[in-house]
Amino acid sequence: MIKTLRISFSLKNAYTVNGILHAIKQMPILKKILPGTIYQVRGFKIFANVLSVLWEIFKAFFGKLLYFVIMFMAAGFLYELEAENEGAFFLHVLLFLSVIGSYMNTYMFNPTKDKYYAMILLGMNAKEYTLVNYFYAIFKILVGFTLFGCLFGMMAGLPVGICLLIPFFVVGLKLTVAAYDLRKYEKTGIATSENKLGTPLWIFTFVLLAIAYGLPVVDIMIPQTASVIIMLLVIGLGVVSLHKILTFKQYREVYREILVEAMTLMNSASQGDMVRAQSHKNISADISIESHRKGFEYLNELFIKRHQKILWKSAKRIAAIAFILFAAAVLVLYLKPDFQTEVNGMLMTMLPYSVFFMYMINRGTGFTGALFMNCDHSLLTYSFYKNPKFILKLFQIRLREIIKINLLPAVVIGAGLALLLFVSGGTENPLNYAVLFVSVTALSVFFSVHYLTLYYLLQPYNAGTEIKSGMYQFMMTATYFVCYMMLQFELPTLMFGAMTIVFCVLYCIIASILVYVFAPKTFKIRN
Amino acid sequence: MKFTIEHLAKAFDKKQVLKDIDFTFESGKIYGLLGRNGAGKTTLFNCLNGDLKADAGKFYLEDNGVTRNVVPEDIGYVLSTPTVPEFLTGREFLKFYMDIHEGSIKDPKPLDAYFDYMSIAEEDRGKLLKDYSHGMKNKMQMLINIIARPNVLLLDEPLTSLDVVVAEEMKQLLRSLKGECITIFSTHIMDLALDLCDEIVLLSHGELEIVDKADLDSQEFKQKIIAALREEGND
Repeated sequence: MIKTLRISFSLKNAYTVNGILHAIKQMPILKKILPGTIYQVRGFKIFANVLSVLWEIFKAFFGKLLYFVIMFMAAGFLYELEAENEGAFFLHVLLFLSVIGSYMNTYMFNPTKDKYYAMILLGMNAKEYTLVNYFYAIFKILVGFTLFGCLFGMMAGLPVGICLLIPFFVVGLKLTVAAYDLRKYEKTGIATSENKLGTPLWIFTFVLLAIAYGLPVVDIMIPQTASVIIMLLVIGLGVVSLHKILTFKQYREVYREILVEAMTLMNSASQGDMVRAQSHKNISADISIESHRKGFEYLNELFIKRHQKILWKSAKRIAAIAFILFAAAVLVLYLKPDFQTEVNGMLMTMLPYSVFFMYMINRGTGFTGALFMNCDHSLLTYSFYKNPKFILKLFQIRLREIIKINLLPAVVIGAGLALLLFVSGGTENPLNYAVLFVSVTALSVFFSVHYLTLYYLLQPYNAGTEIKSGMYQFMMTATYFVCYMMLQFELPTLMFGAMTIVFCVLYCIIASILVYVFAPKTFKIRN
Repeated sequence: MKFTIEHLAKAFDKKQVLKDIDFTFESGKIYGLLGRNGAGKTTLFNCLNGDLKADAGKFYLEDNGVTRNVVPEDIGYVLSTPTVPEFLTGREFLKFYMDIHEGSIKDPKPLDAYFDYMSIAEEDRGKLLKDYSHGMKNKMQMLINIIARPNVLLLDEPLTSLDVVVAEEMKQLLRSLKGECITIFSTHIMDLALDLCDEIVLLSHGELEIVDKADLDSQEFKQKIIAALREEGND
């Protein structure tokens, strides 16, 4: 037993450590400095080992802490509970969430890589391996829930005695569900993977969530005493279930079924193949789609038409939603004129917000992603496609398309903002209307140019469709960060809008020049 | 026509994969490129195709005593895993290719003539390429690479994963094409190399060397190749 525990720990640790080292090796600057032999260097190993242990502790404790904070405290703020009801509410929610957790998070039926390596590849004794690791997982739950269950339970005003039941109740439920699934396997031969719940269980989950959080709103909760009785019963069931778990003989068969199924997905298709297969699903199978154009226009038109779902449809949806929201806002301003001054003030100072908003709705990354996965990934392996003349020709066509797609929602939003300004009382300088409209559309063009330029200049994907460019990732993060920072600014619309328009125009000119000079060299599959 | 590589070198990190590639290929012949796993066959092809930048060296074409640099159109490169634009049908891919090469293809034929030539069935021509089988994708990739009659045809393990019928069709095709171009064919399968190729070239120690068949019978020739390749594993 001890030996199994030791081996499974060192196995799990070995690949966590190598995983960490691999991740470090992917970082932009470190990648160049660190040697390829990093996996053998003792110093790095120790460092990664420390991280691995910290991660294990973090998972054991911080995960539970987060669970309690989010589920109970945050939810608690939303309800206005009488002090004497807090304890009952706490137990009510805990009861239902624990039921969900008992089948969503069994540990035993989770097809993870460490199990695959140990039981399938290395052929370790399945029963021993499972039980040792299962009880280790259960032990972590006991510790975590004793600590935080008591802490948060007592904050909700529950006596220590009831709080101490919590960890045993949670564990009892998990044991019961595990034993139930094992018995089911004995009877039917069907092994349940917790990653494949199926629709009925998902619906059940939502019903439980609704009961957990919905009923307290209308003041219906399981009384505290009833909760305690249920908890005691479950603990009893858990003890009985322990017997099944310890005597079950077919762990090997169960895992063979759930692991091999899960791992063929992970292995045979490498990560990249899976990403691509996913991406191919976006290609429309509609055979009536055709094009009467020629050459690159032909290629482009077919691409756009066969990717309607992820390109035009979502742009249209955003435009429609924006239209409805603006219509509603106009209606509100008519019905409640008191809001007019406030809205008017916002429109005149909060244009910087639109940067972040336009960033959020832009389809640029979706477009470049699909371009690579479903088109350039293959065509870039043909020499003719890399002809500089062709690269630039196709760049122009694609730029035109992505601008068109993004412009639709931008025009609706720009016009909507201008309309809102008018309805909310207008402005003494009519230029403001134009600036609102033009700056929003300019932003949309900017993001389109930005993403496509980055794609052409940095072409970040390799043949396995992994992103291999640190620079590209940095630029993506920087884009987000800059747009997010814009939320902090309040500037007069006229000034900010004018600045935006000038910036966008300049950026587009510079970006086009860069693409013309560099793209023929940079636009190829990374190694 | 001759295709000459001079002192080509390529290293990854500190590993010198290609040390000093120095070789002249001649048109009208199929060259079988043999090398052990990791010897750098694909790296060599990627350098020649311009996907990888070589650290040193050059390569050029020589026709009637006139030398010139290799341009992308000179090279056809068929990868071991066929990649085709999945959102197009076979017919659309071919039409697109013909469109953008209008005027530069010597004797353009109707689309269906090409499909017939590759034995791609009528009903498959209008299917999306993502629904093609491995062998059909391979044929499609081969077709696109040979229509424009490239001067150098690089084939990276092209027949390894094809069924016997398709593999035989492809072999016939390569034989019929060889008169006009320089075909370099990398493979792990010795019998295939001996069957199809006019010359056997070994990639070992990061260099290319030809294996002289002289007056050896095929069994002796095999032994000689294996001995030469085994040598590399020992150092």
